[in-house]
Amino acid sequence: MFYREAGQYKATYEADSAKFPIFQDKLFIWAYLAIGFIAVPFFGNEFFLGAIMIPFLVFTLAAIGLNILTGFTGQISLGTGAFMGVGAYACYKMTLAYPDVNILIFIFASGIFSAIVGMFFGLPSLRIKGFYLVVTTLAAQFFLEWAFIRIPWLYNYNDSGAIEVPQREAFGIIVTGASASAEVRYIICLAVVVIMTWFASNIISGRIGRSWMMIRDMDIAAELMGVRPLYAKLSAFAVSSFYCGVAGALMVFMWLGAAEVESFDYNHSFEVLFMVILGGLGSLLGCFLGAAVIWILPVMIRDWLPPIVDAITPFTINSSQADLVSDIIIGVMIVVFLIMEPLGLARLWAIIKQKLRVWPFPY
Amino acid sequence: MNAHDTSFHGRMDDGIEPGKALLHVDNISLSFGGVKAITDVSFDVLKGEVRAIIGPNGAGKTSMLNVINGFYHPQEGSITFRGEKRAKMKPYQAASSGISRTFQNVALFHGMSTLDNIMAGRTLKMNKNFFWQMWRYGPALQEEIEHRKVVEEIIEFLEIETIRKEPVGTLPYGLQKRVELGRALAAEPDLLLLDEPMAGMNLEEKEDMSRFIIEVNQQYGTTIALIEHDMGVVMDLADRVMVLDYGKKIGDGLPEEVQANQDVIDAYLGVSH
Ligand SMILES: Nc1ncnc2c1ncn2[C@@H]1O[C@H](COP(=O)(O)OP(=O)(O)OP(=O)(O)O)[C@@H](O)[C@H]1O
Ligand SMILES: [Mg+2]
Repeated sequence: MFYREAGQYKATYEADSAKFPIFQDKLFIWAYLAIGFIAVPFFGNEFFLGAIMIPFLVFTLAAIGLNILTGFTGQISLGTGAFMGVGAYACYKMTLAYPDVNILIFIFASGIFSAIVGMFFGLPSLRIKGFYLVVTTLAAQFFLEWAFIRIPWLYNYNDSGAIEVPQREAFGIIVTGASASAEVRYIICLAVVVIMTWFASNIISGRIGRSWMMIRDMDIAAELMGVRPLYAKLSAFAVSSFYCGVAGALMVFMWLGAAEVESFDYNHSFEVLFMVILGGLGSLLGCFLGAAVIWILPVMIRDWLPPIVDAITPFTINSSQADLVSDIIIGVMIVVFLIMEPLGLARLWAIIKQKLRVWPFPY
Repeated sequence: MNAHDTSFHGRMDDGIEPGKALLHVDNISLSFGGVKAITDVSFDVLKGEVRAIIGPNGAGKTSMLNVINGFYHPQEGSITFRGEKRAKMKPYQAASSGISRTFQNVALFHGMSTLDNIMAGRTLKMNKNFFWQMWRYGPALQEEIEHRKVVEEIIEFLEIETIRKEPVGTLPYGLQKRVELGRALAAEPDLLLLDEPMAGMNLEEKEDMSRFIIEVNQQYGTTIALIEHDMGVVMDLADRVMVLDYGKKIGDGLPEEVQANQDVIDAYLGVSH
């Protein structure tokens, strides 16, 4: 009833191709931003910000990266974890070399390193497709994991083999290291994710994004319309890996504080892939939804399920049993979505919105 | 605006006079392993004409289009387009030299809307770089809007305004064919190749499609080569007809001449060779 486009005519193509054509959509976006930037840090405690919101944002960014490659360009990759690792190690080495430079600059710059690495491992996509490409990206994953262990220079020859995030400032505020507050780290992650989501949506709705989708949908016809597969695929690998690299740097510098190779292993590649599938291939909104479900749901189940089971049944379960429950739920959801709704939660959301638009009169 | 004139006019100025050959196909032979798809075929397409290619199933018609736009590389022969002889050409090069086409089995971008599919046809005319597009601002936005206007002209011309925002995968077959024509037109080709544009359509849809083809040819002067099985349509549309059978050219000329040609009649009636 209140969510509809009646009376909102678009006078220009500019307005018609705007991101959020309906006024209420714009309102919602501003409301979400206000909640994200003001309400959440104001009301959220250390745990909520540090263990739920920051990882959620990090994974959202990685999911956007993978979705650009898989959902928009049709190239499946299992190298996400490693590409995140490239970003994290690059950021670490840069800030050790130049401690006085604003760390935010290095967080973005680390994306450039993973973009280059991603492009290199994307080269086989020019010749091979589908399953074989999956295998190649998995090989990239294992090769990079090996490099993260075997090249001690990357972790500065620490005995632990881990990278430990030093304290760094930006604009006179401590933003990394043990004494950086969760609020500050959260705000930085949110700002990076908002800006990069906006860039992604701009690119996707323009010529370059279309050329990615053309390759995804029908590569032969794409070539005939003048898309060069080399440019389209490698640019997708580059942009995708850039996003993953920045996500990796954020993961270590804003969330974990220290990391070793396990933080970038193939489990993460799968986790991000599941977020993309569950959220919706080819949808930016889906990246947020997928990351939310896969990251936040288990945390909630771990916290809430044991006491509930205690209270209402004669059984008790511990938190690792609760984790099994969330694994099962997420596993089932992924299977159900793959079969019933390959476009994921984002598609479901669009359907609900469509229903709202005509509510309360469905016809 | 001068460097990039973005109103739809259907063809580039290529310096070739109407009635002169835009495309020369010389002694093309193409085989796949043991299968000879095309054997020593030569023909030309004159600027401004509608040229039909006909022949029974498996005659090599689609293969001929694939040779012209660079999907297949013939073992022998050469293609001269707009006075330039090309030995081996990539589809991308064919597209940028002004050849555009539709496919026998609709090859739309199924995950995209009608609008985006036709916008996709403008790819080669757009060039604003990544960093402008990232902001979707200034030149990039300007470019997007200019091309959107052209695309809207095409949408209006093809009378598909109502399906502008529909994902093409959900459209009925006849409309998909129309969108595919729109996408090919959006490239403003010099030479438009149509592979059975009316296959699987009902009479009304065929009439609409014929009307569009005639209008494209006459209003915008676009040269068209089309493959079609419906002889009625061919007789109506085509200026000249080339007939293939088992990969060989067995007839070439005005529609009436071809229709009266005994070899052609035999081929269509299936007289053994
Ligand atoms: N990629 C390919 N690989 C092997 N053989 C092919 C290939 N493309 C075409 N052919 C063969 O070449 C011959 C001509 O096929 P083509 O598709 O050009 O015929 P057509 O005239 O378009 O027929 P139709 O009217 O059925 O569309 C056929 O024998 C076909 O099997
Ligand atoms: Mg054919």
